[in-house]
Formats: sequence, structure tokens, C-alpha cells
Amino acid sequence: MSDSLSLLFAVLVFPGGLFALVLGLAIKGVDRRVAARLQRRVGPPLLQPFFDLIKLSRKETMVPAQASAFIFRWVPLVGLSAMALAAAMIPINGVYQPSTELGDLLALFYLLAVPAVVLMLAGSASGSPFGAIGFSREMAIMLAYEGPVLLALLSVAIRVGVGEGHLISLSLSDIVAYQIAHGPFLLDPWMWPALLTFLCFFPANLGVLPFDIPEAETEVLEGPLLEYSGPSLGLFKMMSAVKCVVVLGLGITLFLPGGPDGIAGLLVFAVKCTVLAVLGVTVVRTAMGRMRIDQAFYFFLKWPAALGIASLVIVLARS
Amino acid sequence: MNAQNPSLLSRLSSKSPWLYRINAGSCNGCDVELATTAIIPRYDVERLGCQYCGSPKHADIVLITGPLTIRVKDKVLRLYEEIPDPKVTVAVGVCPISGGVFRDSYAIAGPLDNFIPVDINIPGCPPRPQAIIEGIAKAIAIWQSRI
Repeated sequence: MSDSLSLLFAVLVFPGGLFALVLGLAIKGVDRRVAARLQRRVGPPLLQPFFDLIKLSRKETMVPAQASAFIFRWVPLVGLSAMALAAAMIPINGVYQPSTELGDLLALFYLLAVPAVVLMLAGSASGSPFGAIGFSREMAIMLAYEGPVLLALLSVAIRVGVGEGHLISLSLSDIVAYQIAHGPFLLDPWMWPALLTFLCFFPANLGVLPFDIPEAETEVLEGPLLEYSGPSLGLFKMMSAVKCVVVLGLGITLFLPGGPDGIAGLLVFAVKCTVLAVLGVTVVRTAMGRMRIDQAFYFFLKWPAALGIASLVIVLARS
Repeated sequence: MNAQNPSLLSRLSSKSPWLYRINAGSCNGCDVELATTAIIPRYDVERLGCQYCGSPKHADIVLITGPLTIRVKDKVLRLYEEIPDPKVTVAVGVCPISGGVFRDSYAIAGPLDNFIPVDINIPGCPPRPQAIIEGIAKAIAIWQSRI
């Protein structure tokens, strides 16, 4: 009983749900501020994403006449709950160890596909042609990035598994424990191809430049989100904030998991997330323009795929 | 909710006004001013929490430029209906007020406030960026009393 209660706490409050939401919104605030400073602007207040959410909760929700109302209303909640569950699977070293019942690296990887599927459903259920275009673009870019990033995840898992004496280790806790014992993979040049693949996956999964093709507001008017307003748009914003923490946390778990115990460990985790977000997302998105969907598709099947295969070969050859 | 003493949530909400632009047959002069007001570093309106949005469903403050031509009138009214309440309307430039240089044209359905309640007028042909920012700041004050 207490076990299921602690699971529920992990998913809803810490480190999933509430904690991940607040951290994700804070990271988004830093991201917007740093982006503005890089463009020599003043930028919004750091709490801007919180203001946006409060504002959206007080607006009117409109359901378009041609939309399928049930899916249109409920699908953002599916995405948010999937991300809260995924956030509970991310270990924070010295602070939080996820229960094995929540699932392993592969389960997390499939949960990470849920927001994309939710966006596709939202786009097609809204009955808008722009939503349909966003739907097809989201599907194309997801097909392109999932393969390479799976190769990167597998090479980390095999590296840890071989180091521990069996074939493959998909448990996130084992990956963290191995790196605590043998040094983080960030400092190991043989793991850099996997790291680079993961860095390419970042902006694509988070839907920011240069891979914000499905939600391009200047081309397809935010695509799947076009018809959403008020609180249901707020649910999408919350989903993307929590997803931001999940993806950043996954990167930290895979490549630089160390940290002190207690509150300091929590702070170190937040700082690592923010630094990774600024370097991996903000700088990239201010420096680059949007790619076309075909360019992004070929890009992922060319460079990240090649790096992923190279990293798998290196890990297998050195084991 | 009275205008003198807005609640905490209203005050926090009014820090996040999202802007939406409607071109009602404008000559593009005002649109260029709107674009430069938001985008160039010198007059950054994102510091007020503003953000241009692509979809009318996300909008809070709607900026309308142009004299409202007959051909575009129905589309503008439909777009206006698509914007969720509470919203504030800002007419940018002299055209939505009086028709401006196009006032005697057979192609004009305006002035705009015959069809849409206008909260703020920003006169000018085109208005200066400072005037636009002042107009947006006034619109935010009105919006705070509505949300």
C-alpha cells in the first residue's frame, strides 16, 4: 500500500508532476531570457512561462465545429500524464531512485514518443488543414529521429551492460551506478558519437528551431496547436515543460549523472538541466533558421544515424 | 472585477498579452512598423511579456491595420469571432479610424468601429514605434480589467 502511494507521489509530485512542471517552466523562462540577450534584446521576465499559464487558465476554450470534440478535449491530458510518468522514471543521483516497477530505458523511450503522437492526434482531431499538415510533418520528423536516438541509447546500455558482465543493461539506475563508479560518459571520447546523436535529437524532440517544422508558426500557424485556446492550450504548454525536464534529465542520466546527496543534489540537477538547455537548445535555436521537412528528414537519416551506428560499432568493438 | 483594484490573478495574467495582427487591406506600412517594433532589439515588446502568435485562437490583443476594404470585411469579422474572450482590439494607423488616404474610395467598408468594438486607436501614417508600444501598454491596462 505504502509502495503504491510512494509511486503515486513520485508520479504526481516529485520528481514527476509538480516538481518537473515547475522546473520545466523555470528552464523555459531562462531559455527565453537568454535567447533575447543573445539577440541583444531585453527579454521577458524569468517567470514569463508561469504568467502565460495563469493567463491561459483564465481564457475561454473554443472547440471548433468540425473537430472531434472528445479527442480534441482529452488528448492533451494523455500527453501530460504520460510525461509526468516519464519524469518519475528519471533518477536524480543522491536524491531519487526510481522504482523498477516504473520501467526501464526502453519504456522511457516509448513514453517519449507519446507527446508526438498526442500532437498528431490533436492536429487531426481539430479538423483544420493546418493541423493536418502539422500531423504529417510531426510523423515524418519522428520517424527520422527515433531510429538514430535508439542507436545512441542502445550503445550506452550495451556499454554499461558489458561493463557489468552481461550483454545489455536497460535499467537507468544501473547506468547511473556504472558512471558513478567509472566516471561519466561525457568525459569518455569513445562515447561522444552517442552524445552528438543525442544532442541532435534534443531540438527535434522539444520542437524548437531548427526542427520546429511541425509547429512552425510562420508557415502552418503552429500546426496541431492552431485550434487550441485557453486551458487546453495551457495543458500543451505544461506537457512541453515536463517533456523538457524528461529529455534533459535523460541526457544527464546517460552522460553526466553524478551529484551530491540531499538538497544540494537537487540544485546540481537543476543547474545541469539549465546549462544543458541553454547550450543544447537556446544557443542552437538563436543561431539557426528553420529547416524544411525534407532537409530535416535527410539530416537525421544521414548524420545522427551515421553517428549512432558508429557509436554502436565502437562500443561493440571495445567490449 | 473593478478596474481600480484588479485581483492578483488578473495582474499576473496581464503580464502575458499575446498579440495577433490582422491586415484589413492595409498598404503594409503599419505592418512593417509592427514587425520592426517587435523584432528589432531596440523596441523589444517581449519585455512586456508580449509574443506574436500565429493563430487567432491564442490571441489576447488584436492589432488591426488598414481601412477595412469591402472584400476583406467578412474575413476580418470571422477572424475576430475566432479570438477567445477576453480580448482587446487595437486599431493601428489612421486607416481603421477614418480610412486615411483611402477614405473616399469605393472599395472601403470602414471605418472599423462600425463593425468591431475598438478599444485603442493609434493614429499615424504609419504610427511611430513608440506610439505603437504606448498603445499596446494602454491595451494591456484595459485587458487587465477584463481578464
